[in-house]
Amino acid sequence: MRRYRISYFIGQALQGIWRNGVMSFASIAVLMSCLVVLGAFTLLIVNINTNLENLDEANKIIVFLDYDLTEEQIVEIERQIKKIDEAKTIKRITADEALRKLAQRAGENASLYDDYYKDNPLSDSFEITYDDAKDLTTIEFELQGIEGVRKYRDQRYIVNLISDIKNGVLFVFLWFLAILFIVSVFIIINTIKLSVYSRKSEISIMRYVGATGWFISLPFILEGAIIGLFASVIAYFVEEYIYKSFVGSLGISIEIITLLPFDELAGVIFTAFILIGVTTGIMGSSISLSKYTKK
Amino acid sequence: MIDFIHVVKTYPNGTVALNDITLHIDDGEFVFVVGASGAGKTTLMKLILREEKVTSGKIIVDDIDITKLSYFRVPHYRRNLGVVFQDFRLFPKKTVYENVAFAMQVVGTPQKLIKRRVPALLKTVNLSEKSKCFPNELSGGEQQRVALARALANNPSIIIADEPTGNIDPKMSLEIMNLLIKINKLGKTVIVVTHEKSLVDYYQQRVISLDHGTIVDDRVGGMYE
Repeated sequence: MRRYRISYFIGQALQGIWRNGVMSFASIAVLMSCLVVLGAFTLLIVNINTNLENLDEANKIIVFLDYDLTEEQIVEIERQIKKIDEAKTIKRITADEALRKLAQRAGENASLYDDYYKDNPLSDSFEITYDDAKDLTTIEFELQGIEGVRKYRDQRYIVNLISDIKNGVLFVFLWFLAILFIVSVFIIINTIKLSVYSRKSEISIMRYVGATGWFISLPFILEGAIIGLFASVIAYFVEEYIYKSFVGSLGISIEIITLLPFDELAGVIFTAFILIGVTTGIMGSSISLSKYTKK
Repeated sequence: MIDFIHVVKTYPNGTVALNDITLHIDDGEFVFVVGASGAGKTTLMKLILREEKVTSGKIIVDDIDITKLSYFRVPHYRRNLGVVFQDFRLFPKKTVYENVAFAMQVVGTPQKLIKRRVPALLKTVNLSEKSKCFPNELSGGEQQRVALARALANNPSIIIADEPTGNIDPKMSLEIMNLLIKINKLGKTVIVVTHEKSLVDYYQQRVISLDHGTIVDDRVGGMYE
């Protein structure tokens, strides 16, 4: 029975990566960038979808009041809103409730909001629901005449806006990603070609003594896979750092957006990175080998 | 046994390297293939190694029609051939022992068997005491003997030597040729591609002379003409 040692193949693959250090580094860097962009894009889409789900009650207007209103003034505003026939339900949200809600949405970053409870930057607001989309214009018209109303926001408008942004982002990123992946595969192909070239005489001797195609190819396939693996693992940590920094910096400045905690998506991202990275590496190796080892 | 039946080999650039070659080499024969540069010697060797494919005709090696051999079967076929090159083609970073063992490792021979067989092979080529040396510590003749040991590693029935004495001095050349004769006497078919007249004339073996892709002479005990 024929026996081969896996350590031999892994050793040869690592040797190949080391011999062509610059190209291997370039391959890892480009593939890693590609994966980071892919991850950023995925996180963005997942977050957009989550926020869209949060805005499921599309027939809703949020009315933000002026900051320094007395309780009597707020009650008066509520009374005036109730007079609008098209308004189905009216719910008051105090500034403190709004802040708590924001903190809840921030998940692991909730503590960032602690300082704001002493001096709450938010104002009281009302949530108005309505039955029919055509009622929106009437409600908005009536709201304009109420003193103490700072601004109001139509949820449907936000839903449409976010959907439009998502589609735009999807389009741009898909092209960007396609180009990046092509560049990655191309660089890996060249890295492996160099590796094959530097071992040309070894390969020719292997052929003459009867080494099978897979025995000759496996170290190079593994080389591509290891490049993919390195790129994936580095990309994962870079992604985690970037995302957490991003959430940290935006967490308190955008009041209506919920950003999912990274840990909730970590498993999926890690698995996807490894699969895509290793597959891309293997693909690059296979393409470059098809020409060199068939003789 | 090797049979060439009306073999024609034309390269993509139109060069006719071999033109209607028919020949038979028996098991255990010793054959010199001679001819000037461009006569077709190397192509003949490449065809036996299945490194090149015939344009037309058939080549039968040990009852296998190698012109019909699939890509996947070629490595297994080559395990029955041992090849020696003019430039030795040894791994400079491997010791003598490792160079010979490598040929067995790539075909998946168990370590136990490698450890037993490599010293025996090195003994056959009189290099037992140099097993730990690297190729650059050896003379040309010694390097060629390592290459011979490697060619024998997987116990092939056919040994093909392409200008085996081309890079070594006359004294060492005789030594290498004597080794090839010794290997032949062990029952292996030996084909030596060469253009060294003195050696061919000295050993008085079968000589196949090629000229412009055709066999112009084929006789036992022949001379290089």
